[in-house]
Amino acid sequence: MIDVAALKAHAKSLLEKGSVRAVIGYRKSTAGLLAEPATIADADATDDLIFDPTCVQNLALYLVNDKKERVHSRSDDKRPIAVVAKGCDSRAITVLLQEKHFPRESVHVIGVSCEGTGVVDARKLAKKLDGKKALSVNFDGSEAFSITTEDGAQSIPAAEVMAERCLECRSAHPTLSDMTFGEAKSERALHAPFQAVKHKMKDEQDNRWAFWARQFDRCLRCYACRSVCPMCYCEECVVDSINFAVLPDTTADEKADRIKWIERSPARSETAMYHMVRAIHLAGRCVDCAECERVCPVNIPLRLLNTRLEMEAFETFEYNPGSDMNAPTLTSSFRDTDPNSFIR
Amino acid sequence: MANAVETAKDETGFEPKIVAFLCKWCSSAGSDLAGVSRLQYPSNAVPITIMCSGSMSPMFVLSAFNKGADGVLVSGCHPGDCHYLKGNFFARRKIYLVQKLLQFVGLENDRFRMSWVSAAEGVKFAGVVDEFVKDIKKLGPQTRLKAKR
Repeated sequence: MIDVAALKAHAKSLLEKGSVRAVIGYRKSTAGLLAEPATIADADATDDLIFDPTCVQNLALYLVNDKKERVHSRSDDKRPIAVVAKGCDSRAITVLLQEKHFPRESVHVIGVSCEGTGVVDARKLAKKLDGKKALSVNFDGSEAFSITTEDGAQSIPAAEVMAERCLECRSAHPTLSDMTFGEAKSERALHAPFQAVKHKMKDEQDNRWAFWARQFDRCLRCYACRSVCPMCYCEECVVDSINFAVLPDTTADEKADRIKWIERSPARSETAMYHMVRAIHLAGRCVDCAECERVCPVNIPLRLLNTRLEMEAFETFEYNPGSDMNAPTLTSSFRDTDPNSFIR
Repeated sequence: MANAVETAKDETGFEPKIVAFLCKWCSSAGSDLAGVSRLQYPSNAVPITIMCSGSMSPMFVLSAFNKGADGVLVSGCHPGDCHYLKGNFFARRKIYLVQKLLQFVGLENDRFRMSWVSAAEGVKFAGVVDEFVKDIKKLGPQTRLKAKR
């Protein structure tokens, strides 16, 4: 179990010493069950930090956002920023470092191991509690959550309300950190890795298309999946071009000639394109934090789509995203033994 | 020879549109060779020359399907023969991933294909296109990823 008091003390000492600009962590949310991400720059406010099974967000995203903000900032504070990172978050940070998105010295990683339990899935929990509102969720040993409702506390086996990704998690212990809290316990193996994808792959191809067509038809193109993904940091996204300014003297020819890969209309074909482009851009980069799936307002199983190529990366190319910040990325490397038989 | 022309028309009158991305150094020259050798093969493939199969963006594939291609062919130099030494090795890995994704989403397997065609293999290029056209004719028009415009 994580010693949250020690976590708070570590954050406090970092801020008091002034060795970091701020600490990105979790605090109790004012609305709803799930914890909220917080950027704490004041040593006294570190008491707000928590770590419990409701800390589902991937905080690596805020490192990317921080970098964006600092481009326009006038401060020349070169100190690193500290971030609380679970196993999956630390893998995301490793991928960002591997891609040289920011230098290693600009971030201080406070690793927290989710050990045997992982984090909670709010939808599963609501179903489990039959509509009763959970007030708090805490770790209860290494295999259960202690859940408080207005009827009092109860202990529920973690596997029943754990997020899907945590069931399949291969490394719950942070792979990259400057300071780690919690036990070095990585193998959870409640479900075989890529179980959901493999199950879907057994389906007939036509049925699979019918399934995905139904999912893509629902998409609102709100781009929440893109906004929440720490790997989606492109300045200009393929779906909305910001470099093409339509001015009064822009001719019809110029407008017609611009490359428009994907239309903005939420038609099935365009939505399919959008999600497939995202999936292919995440190949060998997706750390399976499943944030895209969690934030989707229409419950598109995006994790299923994105982990398909992760499975290929892991099983065919023996590549595990976020395991080594000095290794070449999946698509910038090759082996002589790569599959060749599919080519005529 | 005459057979190849006849097979291009079947009873439904469906003529597949195939977009062929050919690398400048091998496959483009291979398709040229097929032309100058006067080989008869279906004219369904629209060749687009790219500098290297390694420069092939997955976007090109998806976009071609989106704009109504019935099939997409990517063709490059044989492994070890790349003009840029290792471009086709990168391509192999990338195209493999794109193919797996397309299959997972439910596009028919035969619609996306990769081949190695060298500058001397005009006959092979004609064969690859011929086979591709035959396979796609069995599947009919591609409707799954095509934009309704």
